[in-house]
Amino acid sequence: MRKSFDKHWYAWAMVLPTVAVLGVLVLAPLVQGVYQSFTDLNESNQRSEICKKTLGGGETCSPNPKASQFVGLDNYVDVLTGAQGHFWLQFTNTIVWTVACVVFHYGIGLGLAVMLNRSFRGRGFYRVALIVPWAVPAFVAAFAWRFLFDENFGLINATLRALGGSGVSWFDDRWTSLSTAIVANIWLGVPFMMVAILGGLQSIPGDLYEAAEMDGATPWQRFRNVTLPGLRPVSSTVILLGTIWTFNMFPIIYFVTRGQPAGETEILVTGAFRAAFEGIRDYSLAATYGVLILSILIVYASIYRRVLKTQGEVF
Amino acid sequence: MSSITPPVIVETDEMIAGATAKDRRAPRVRRRSDRSVGASVALHATLLLATFIALFPMAWVVLSSFKPASEIRRSDIQFVVDPTLENYRKVLFDTNFPTWFLNSLVVAAFTMVIGIAMAATAGYALSRFNFPGKRGLMWVFLITQMFPVAILIVPIYTIMAKAGLIDTKASLVIAYCTVAVPFCAWMLRGYFDTIPKELDEAAALDGLGPFGTFWRVILPLARPGLAVTAFYTFLTAWGEVAYAIAFMQSDDHYTLGAGLQQFVPQFSPRWELLTAGAVLITIPAAIVFFFAQKHLVAGLTAGGTKG
Amino acid sequence: MSTSVTFEKATRIYPGSEKPAVDGLDLEIAEGEFLVLVGPSGCGKSTSLRMLAGLEDVTSGRILIGDRDITHLRPKDRDIAMVFQNYALYPHMSVGENMGFALKIAGVNKSDIDARVLEAAKILDLEPYLDRKPKALSGGQRQRVAMGRAIVRQPQVFCMDEPLSNLDAKLRVSTRTQIASLQRRLDTTTVYVTHDQVEAMTMGDRVAVLKDGLLQQVDTPLGLYDKPKNAFVAGFIGSPAMNLGTFCVEDGHALIGEARVPLPRSTVGALKGDKVQLGFRPEALVLSSADDAASFPVEALVIEELGSDAFLYGNMIGDDLRADHVVARIAPRSVPAKGAKVWFSIEPGRLHAFDVESGDALPTD
Repeated sequence: MRKSFDKHWYAWAMVLPTVAVLGVLVLAPLVQGVYQSFTDLNESNQRSEICKKTLGGGETCSPNPKASQFVGLDNYVDVLTGAQGHFWLQFTNTIVWTVACVVFHYGIGLGLAVMLNRSFRGRGFYRVALIVPWAVPAFVAAFAWRFLFDENFGLINATLRALGGSGVSWFDDRWTSLSTAIVANIWLGVPFMMVAILGGLQSIPGDLYEAAEMDGATPWQRFRNVTLPGLRPVSSTVILLGTIWTFNMFPIIYFVTRGQPAGETEILVTGAFRAAFEGIRDYSLAATYGVLILSILIVYASIYRRVLKTQGEVF
Repeated sequence: MSSITPPVIVETDEMIAGATAKDRRAPRVRRRSDRSVGASVALHATLLLATFIALFPMAWVVLSSFKPASEIRRSDIQFVVDPTLENYRKVLFDTNFPTWFLNSLVVAAFTMVIGIAMAATAGYALSRFNFPGKRGLMWVFLITQMFPVAILIVPIYTIMAKAGLIDTKASLVIAYCTVAVPFCAWMLRGYFDTIPKELDEAAALDGLGPFGTFWRVILPLARPGLAVTAFYTFLTAWGEVAYAIAFMQSDDHYTLGAGLQQFVPQFSPRWELLTAGAVLITIPAAIVFFFAQKHLVAGLTAGGTKG
Repeated sequence: MSTSVTFEKATRIYPGSEKPAVDGLDLEIAEGEFLVLVGPSGCGKSTSLRMLAGLEDVTSGRILIGDRDITHLRPKDRDIAMVFQNYALYPHMSVGENMGFALKIAGVNKSDIDARVLEAAKILDLEPYLDRKPKALSGGQRQRVAMGRAIVRQPQVFCMDEPLSNLDAKLRVSTRTQIASLQRRLDTTTVYVTHDQVEAMTMGDRVAVLKDGLLQQVDTPLGLYDKPKNAFVAGFIGSPAMNLGTFCVEDGHALIGEARVPLPRSTVGALKGDKVQLGFRPEALVLSSADDAASFPVEALVIEELGSDAFLYGNMIGDDLRADHVVARIAPRSVPAKGAKVWFSIEPGRLHAFDVESGDALPTD
């Protein structure tokens, strides 16, 4: 033990600031959050004492008779059975939202990256122009798309009308409303995928393509047998990251659909936020959501890693 | 066929099909990089379409920001009508926008500095040393990236409320550090990994201890990586919304993420103010972003693939 | 200034591995000696050097510089300088700063640093480049800066880890002689690691051959060449490599194809069993004829004509069970045709014999 300390003290000293920050700012709140999910904490019962000013200027405090208390698994039962909140609706929305966004992010990103990986005139221009959406802060992009999808004067309905159709009330239906958010998020997320995949493409040695060409492979066969396998390390990482980010993406749903119509397009993250900070603040419900979301993501990530591992790839 | 065509390697099937009788009569040497006209047109058409989609939403916002309020509400398509700077004037002088802007700047700058300062040595230790607890720490970093806002926002809110910090910039900086510190450590580790280990060994032989090596050899070499990580941390804080809305309660304490929505309430939204504000928010973010983007992805995915 | 280096049963076991990377290394390096560690990749030569430099922990055993036990000292307290394979020059410092960095950290005053850097730069022809950054230099120049950084320190020991392997073939040969002559001039004890046995033979005062973490033999280059202690050293040292093959023994004669080669009495006496591993260098083969009972026929497959020498690569004929490859040095400019049948015999006294099981050398006199 002594020897181990002599040998590693500087490494530990170097990680100490980070570990301290994580302990105080992440671990402690996390533990508290998990605890809160087992209580009935809300806006009205959050104080453990009620204090009154006395005439002398001091305070007297007495225990709050209605203070929050431990309720065991009640919150989880309520949430999962639908007695409280709309967990399963929001869960479905989250899955649709995440799958649609990640599939389009990756597919479009891959297509654009393959095109940009060739050499042709104007490539530098396209590359810069195509990553512009990434430079826009997410909430600004959300407002921009909300503006475009506006029923009365939005550019998209105006275009539809100009083409002889009629405007669509995008936010009156659950699925059209959700698709506006998906479109906005695809727009926002494609550049990251494109640049990441482009980096992956450029790391595939050119002589592999030359060898495949000498072996008589067609362009499609080269794509299947050289490009896709060569992209696997990058792809597996960006798909995992992309899924997690999209799952937790807050501002797009919050500002584009605003849950319209009537909360039918909330995803889990925005649902939890509204539970905690809108109307009567139900902190324990939000905490329960938080624990459930984190659990889903951890299960997903470990299954993902295991599948990759069985295919002989560990990242 | 083989006796007629010169021994040139042909790029695609379409090109063989495209090598029509005319080509055969007057064999032209085709260089490998040549692409058929059709393929070129298709390539450029696709990329132009993609570029249009990438640019037009913000371009439309920019165009709209120069329109008078009444014109924005028109239901037909008009690109430029009576261009005016009135919206910008209103945003800058009649609203709290400049205050929000300043608040965002302060919060993002502090988050950036604290994130880098706290995480830099950890990134180095994770890149270079094998020590008990390393694997566990890497896992913690990975899992914190998965944390939904929802799981920390409530406990941090209640803690801040107890500490009397709600509605202060400090509360936001602290909340942002929960993400920024592990993120910076993860990114910086990726950059430190690209610096050859022999430099550390040379420094050890030259008489430097681990901290001296970090300070005098590694940090100067990691400057681009530090800059990129710092920029990205800044941008993340600049564009954050959920904590900002939850924690900040008075109008002059809002950051941009919380403040901008004030322009577009459910009823009678003022899009003319929002578009002008959106442009003003995006310009600095975009400038910072284009400095950082070149090295950004390498760091993100390198950190990931070697975890 | 210069001093001896001693490894005493120095062992390195990497965490998570059972097998030692370096296993009980016993080695004494004299003052001012140029010792080369050589062996195939993974033999533990670099690990040994890094243990001496303090970059690798010593699991057991001791390492001494002079009388000083440095086994557990930090690298900077060992008074050692090292030249790395990829040079490890600090990219953000100029050539001069790179060379003077160790002195700066040691707190030497600026004018002394400048003087010593300049002196080293003169020795290595680096004066015009002192203000440049390493990336503005050619590979050969960077290599010299790495040397310069070591020289400036005036350390007790130089460690060099394959310092020539990033140079092209021609530059490698010329730099080889420069390093060797520089070392003679400075008279600093030097430990040099390489996988290239030609480098080892041409540069070292003595050469230590390692395999699988075990020291096989330490001797002068000629000593290794003439008296290899075992079949591994015999096959590793020399280019083209020694011909090695296992043959049956009958009445004190080895049966090589159709030939019956007489074995020295001492060899026969030391034999366990009826087989022996024989080795003979390409230059130990002399052209002979079918009449000679001790000669064997070879079918010439490839002839390498080098001008000063020629080498014949062929198969032994006559043994149904094997087709052994044989290399022979022959006189240049009048070589046999490809496919020709040529008879060779082994020059007396130039035969090496090894135990079939252990590979250890058997007496041949």
